[in-house]
Order: sequence, then structure tokens, then C-alpha cells
Amino acid sequence: MKINFEKRKGVDIVSLIGRFDGNTASSVKDETMEQLNENTSLIINMKDCEYVSSAGLRVLMIIAKTLKSRGGSGVLVEMSEEVGDVMEMTGFGNIFRSFKTIDEALEFLQRGGEKC
Amino acid sequence: MLRVDVFPTHQQNGIKFRRGRALPFGATIVPEGVNFSIFSRYAASYELLLFKKKEKEPFAVIPFPEEFRIGNVFAMTVFDLDFENVEYGYRVDGPNNPIEGHLYNKEKILMDPYAKAAGGREIWGIEPDRDNLFQHRSRIFFDDFEWEGEKPLELEIKDLIIYELHVRSYTKDRTSKVKYPGTYAAIIEKIPYLKELGINCIELLPVFEFDEFENSRISKETGKKLMNYWGYSTVGFFAPKAGYAATGKFGMEVDELKNLVKELHKNGIEIILDVVFNHTAEGNENGPYISFKGHDNKTYYLLTPEGDYYNFSGCGNTLNCNNPIVRNMILDCLRYWASEYHIDGFRFDLASILSRDQNGVPMANPPLLETLAFDPILGKCKLIAEAWDAGGLYQVGSFPSWGRWAEWNGKFRDDIRKFLKGDKQVVREVIERIQGSPDLYGWEDRGTTASINFITCHDGFTMMDLVSYNEKHNIANGEGNRDGGDDNESWNCGWEGSTDNPEINFLRNKQIKNAITLLLVSRGIPMILSGDEFGNTQFGNNNAYCQDNEISWLNWDLLKENNDLFSYFKNMIAFRKAHPVLRVTRFDTCHTDTGYPEISWHGTKAWNLNYDFLTHRMAVMFCGSADKYGTEDDEFIYMAMNSHWEMHEFELPILPKGKFWHVAVNTDMPGGEDFWSQGEEKKLKDQNKILVGSRSVIVLISKNKD
Repeated sequence: MKINFEKRKGVDIVSLIGRFDGNTASSVKDETMEQLNENTSLIINMKDCEYVSSAGLRVLMIIAKTLKSRGGSGVLVEMSEEVGDVMEMTGFGNIFRSFKTIDEALEFLQRGGEKC
Repeated sequence: MLRVDVFPTHQQNGIKFRRGRALPFGATIVPEGVNFSIFSRYAASYELLLFKKKEKEPFAVIPFPEEFRIGNVFAMTVFDLDFENVEYGYRVDGPNNPIEGHLYNKEKILMDPYAKAAGGREIWGIEPDRDNLFQHRSRIFFDDFEWEGEKPLELEIKDLIIYELHVRSYTKDRTSKVKYPGTYAAIIEKIPYLKELGINCIELLPVFEFDEFENSRISKETGKKLMNYWGYSTVGFFAPKAGYAATGKFGMEVDELKNLVKELHKNGIEIILDVVFNHTAEGNENGPYISFKGHDNKTYYLLTPEGDYYNFSGCGNTLNCNNPIVRNMILDCLRYWASEYHIDGFRFDLASILSRDQNGVPMANPPLLETLAFDPILGKCKLIAEAWDAGGLYQVGSFPSWGRWAEWNGKFRDDIRKFLKGDKQVVREVIERIQGSPDLYGWEDRGTTASINFITCHDGFTMMDLVSYNEKHNIANGEGNRDGGDDNESWNCGWEGSTDNPEINFLRNKQIKNAITLLLVSRGIPMILSGDEFGNTQFGNNNAYCQDNEISWLNWDLLKENNDLFSYFKNMIAFRKAHPVLRVTRFDTCHTDTGYPEISWHGTKAWNLNYDFLTHRMAVMFCGSADKYGTEDDEFIYMAMNSHWEMHEFELPILPKGKFWHVAVNTDMPGGEDFWSQGEEKKLKDQNKILVGSRSVIVLISKNKD
């Protein structure tokens, strides 16, 4: 899995590319956590993430909880239907608000977003 | 702070490990690794086999060094495992001496009895690779589900209205219109429906991992594949059935089932599991090695002095439930489901086996049942016994209870069925059943809540089939129609099977309404079979244990077709909820501060039930004191039951001044006019008597309005 970081309009965007599973969960967690400061606004771009395993879902949960503890907010974008369904069915559906596009997510976060 | 035991002491082909901890049993995620702990009393040696998911050959085989054994427990911590993608099993060496009860075979790869998840059947119905030596594969799972503060509901048992369902049957049919049919997740989609119906507890047929391909075969009669569909044959007691999870293919069945529990609880619905501890899927001496047989046959199974399997379950073997090791495993298992899954209660299949000692003899105070009754973690769980077994032990009314155990009341089913189809000489029994069966549960600190009342369940006819078939029609099961019970106490209303005859169909619907009325007005805990509320049929099959097709799958199109039945069920459930005098724990029948007895019996003459003569006509009146039940006013409920084929006039008991009888239910009326919802009940013109149609039930309530 590849992880790309960029910053747009003051918002951190992390793009997950490939399979987000037990092999990669730890590195996604460590690298993303490094980006999280006080009041971080974060977009997790799932467009090229073909699969999220149980370990991957847990990393998302940990990121959400960390953001919350630091007063930040985060959202998911461009999640495939299957990944969205898996999250929903396994109880991870309400970790993050989800948006179709990065632009929609940016607009939401720039309006102040909401706490995780 | 770093622990000192995070450093490996041993290494083999790059796999690092050290001596593990003996407790807890099973595979547990610990800092930097996974702790594996396995018990066997008679094993000489153990090997841990690690596989990449779904692969036939292990990537590591690690023998347990002798110093890793403590007592009869072998324990090892393995470091740096990508445990999400690992499956593990064991090979065990030890004596192979069937007469002594030992069947060790070091060639067999065994599942962990404490496996929290199991691979091998993770997608329902995918034909397994029979050449694979490792069929049921232990998996490791995170136990860190985010419950967001949710906890078990702890509804009072007296208030429960249980709804029995099979995870796959419930939504597998296309008519269910859910996104992932036949799964745990699909039940969530049906929660709004369940709430509309009004039930507050679902009871799932077995969801412990089982092999749907056990004894699978093609039916000669239908050409269809027959399966171990119901799943009363456990492979792993701690693992949820992965094939019931839409996410099973991703190995997320644990989270999916927990999410179902969480969503049910959020909506005020409890969940009870039907658990099968009486036997396992390993069958008799010809059955497969899955786990227990290979780990420690003599400990896990009840054996004859010659080393053969006792078969009190009718399924080839009998779990040795009152052996201290097995007893602890069952306790560990139930504690796990209660604490990790927030399960609200358990219904024990063939529970009488749990009362047998290590020689198979029934005990007066079985230690396992006592332990479960007093266990602190299970302290608020409902414990329900199917109080019989296939070895002839029948304990309905006498199951050891310590005031904690309830029972499936098979006598309720039989007596009410007999009465409804017009049998004579059941009036005395019906009187007991409506009161919550004091003849069965009137002592030893038991009460009405010891009685789980039901007329239908998964085992036997559906309600629609009960009124549509005189005989079972199980040819599709491929056993020459010999399987399934013959004592159904059913009546087809004049024609065997479906018919266009409107009179017969009206009578059938009426009989169903009569049945559900008696069920929901009776004291005790009612249980409804899912689909009965819209007239679901199994086409006369009273033992659909092997039918993974339209015979078992609920046909939701019938909900529209039989909407009057659904409305009626919904109304009766609401009726029960509205009247606390029906939902009690004690058998209170005596005089109240109203001047009336709490329960009184009547015939066609008020206050005058002739037990010998009036075999088809009877009435009951409940009197709920406002002081006692906290209602706005004293409440009277009168139910007239006429199972005779002719109409009869019933004289009504006189109400206290200022109260008048109002009709809540009349099953003799067509759909739409058969009930009046709460607050809308219709005042009777003649307050002294009422005509009760043939094979009909009328329920009246008292109201102050003139």
C-alpha cells in the first residue's frame, strides 16, 4: 500500500492506495498520526483503496479517537460502495462522516466541520 | 513500560517464540505476539501449525518444547505474527486405544476448542475442498469492538415477547428485499419491522460455527442438495458462524454479529442465542476429527465402559458436560458471549443432557447447571432449557432451576394445540397453561416466568401449516417421510394443503388468530416463530433441518397477502404490553382489593365452569387491581374460548358498578373487524351475555365509559 500526503487550503489529505490490511495498518497509523496536531482537519481519501481489513478499520477508529482527543475533525471521501457497506455492517460506519468528493469535504471542513 | 516477557527465547526458521501463559485458553493477543494455550490431559506432545489464510500447507510447525507444558496445558507465545492473515491448528500425539477412550492421531490437524473465529466455511454454501486436511481453521480476532456505551438491556423476563428466527431463513428469499440476504447485517434492516410488530427479543437458531456440509447429500426425491441447515451441530463454541456474515469473506463476522447486537439493543430488542452444548459435529467413531476428539476424546465425550460414544443427543456423541474441564469450557464460553457480545440470554438445546453425570445418569443437582445459575457474569442473562434429551429424559416442570432456569414448555404447545382443534378433556390442562402452568412451576421459587410458552417453533409445523396439514410432508428430506414428529396435534380445517376454498381459508386464519390470542393472553413468556405473523408456510414439512431453499426461507410476499394476520399479531402484542396483569412472575389468582379474584374461570354460565361437561367452552377473567399493578383503574379482561364447531352464548360476569364490557377481539369477524385497538374498544350492547362463534375467541375489557 502507498500513502500520499498533501495539504490543500489548510486541510491535510491522506490518500490510501492499495489494500489497507494487517500488513499496512501499522504504517498507515504511524505515518498518519505524525500529521495530527491540535485541531487538525483531515481528509482520508479512499478513492484508490480497494480493500479495508479488520485491522484497517481499527486504524481508522484510532485516528478518529486521536483527532477527537486533540480537538480536530476528519472525514472520508470517495469510498467504494463495498468498503462503505463493510464499515456499516461491522459497526464502523459512524466513525467518520463520508463525502463523495474532496471538494465537498473541503467545503464542509472549512465551514468548521464537526468534531469526530 | 516495556514488559520483560516481550523478548523471544526460541527461534525456528525465523519464527520467534517463548514459553506462554497457561491462561486464558485459546489464542490471545499479547504485547508483540499471540499467546497459544491448549489443554489435553492425556497428550504426549503438541505441535502448533501456522497457516497463511486458506493455504493447505502450514508455513510453520512448532513443536511445544517440554518446558512449555504446565500441568496438562501447553502454552507458547509466538512473536511478530500478522495474526489477521493467519490460521492455526494443532497436531497432537498420544495414546490411540479406543477401549480406553483415547483416539489420538498425530496426522490430524485440529481446531482450537477455544477458537474465537473459524475459517473454512466463511462463505455459506461454497463446496469445501475435501482433500484439505485442515477443514475448520482456528483464527485470531481483535476483541476491541467499540460498543459506544451500549450494554445488555436487562429487560425483565416477565415482559419479554420472544421471536425465534433462523439467520439465513429470515432474509434469504428475494422477497425480503434486503441488501445482503441471509446475514446478520440483514437482520438490522428488519429492525423497523420488528419494532412495528412489537416483539422485544429475538432468539437466533444456532450461530456457533457449524458445517453446513455435514452429511450433505442430494435428495433423491427433489434432486436438491440437503444440508446441515439449522446448525444444531457445533464445530466451535466460541466462534460465530462466519457464513452468516456478509463480511465473513473478509473475516469480519465477529464485528458484524456484535454490530447486530448493538443495533438491536439501541432499538430496545434483546437477543438470545440457541446454544448446542449437548454434542459436537464430530459424530460417532466414524465421524471426522475436527477438534475435541483429537485433543482429548476421553475428557470431552461421554463414553461407555467399552469406550464407545453414548448417544443421548441422537447425533452420534454426547458432550461430557459435567466433567470439570468441560464444565469450565462451557462456562468460559457463555461468559465470553455474555461479556464480549453482550448476549442477553441463552436457550440450551437438549438441556437435559447437561444434567447427566459422567456415566450418563441424571443428577438431582447437576454442578454445571448450578454453576450457570449462580455465575456472576451470567447474573442477568436469561437461561432457558429445552428440558428433554434424545435419551428419553423429559424434565419439563422438573428441570433443576435454583429459581433461575426457565423452560421451553412443550406441554403448553401440546395442550393448546389439542384444545384449538377441538379435542375433549383438555380443559383442566388449558386452565393450567393460561395461568402460567402452576402445575409445573408452582414450587421451588419458580414462577410463571419459568414457562416459555409457545405453540410453534422451528421444530415442527409453522402456524399456517398447523392449520393446513393433518400429516407431515417431509418427502423432500429424503428419508421416506420417516423423519420429523408425528404427534403434531394439527388439523387441516378440511383440506390437506393450500386451497382456494374461502371458507377453509377463513377458518385457518381464524384458528391462527385463536392460537396467538391464547398465547399472548396466557401468563408465562410467549415465544412466536418468525413468519407466523404473515402465515409463512413450509408446505407441510415439519422438520426442515436440511432445506436451504424456499421450504425454509420466509416468503415476505405473504406479508402483503396476509396483512390482516400481521395486524392481528401486532394488536395482540400491544394488548399484552398494555395489561400488566398478564405479565406477572407469581401465580397470583386469589381475591384482590376489588372484591374479585385475580383469575376466575367461567363457562357458558358465569362463575360456573363445568370441568366434566364443558369440554369445548370456557372463559377466563383476569382482574388487575390498580393498586397492585399501578394502572389508572382496576382492569378486567375476559376471554371466552369456544373450540366447538357451533356457536354458543356465554353469560358474562357482572362488573363493578360504573364499568362496562368492551370488545377488544373477536376472531370470528373478518380481517379489519377482528380487533379494536387500544382505546377504540367497542362497548357491548348487551352487557349480560355474548355470542361466541364456532371455533372462536372473544376478548373483552372493562372500561368506565358508558
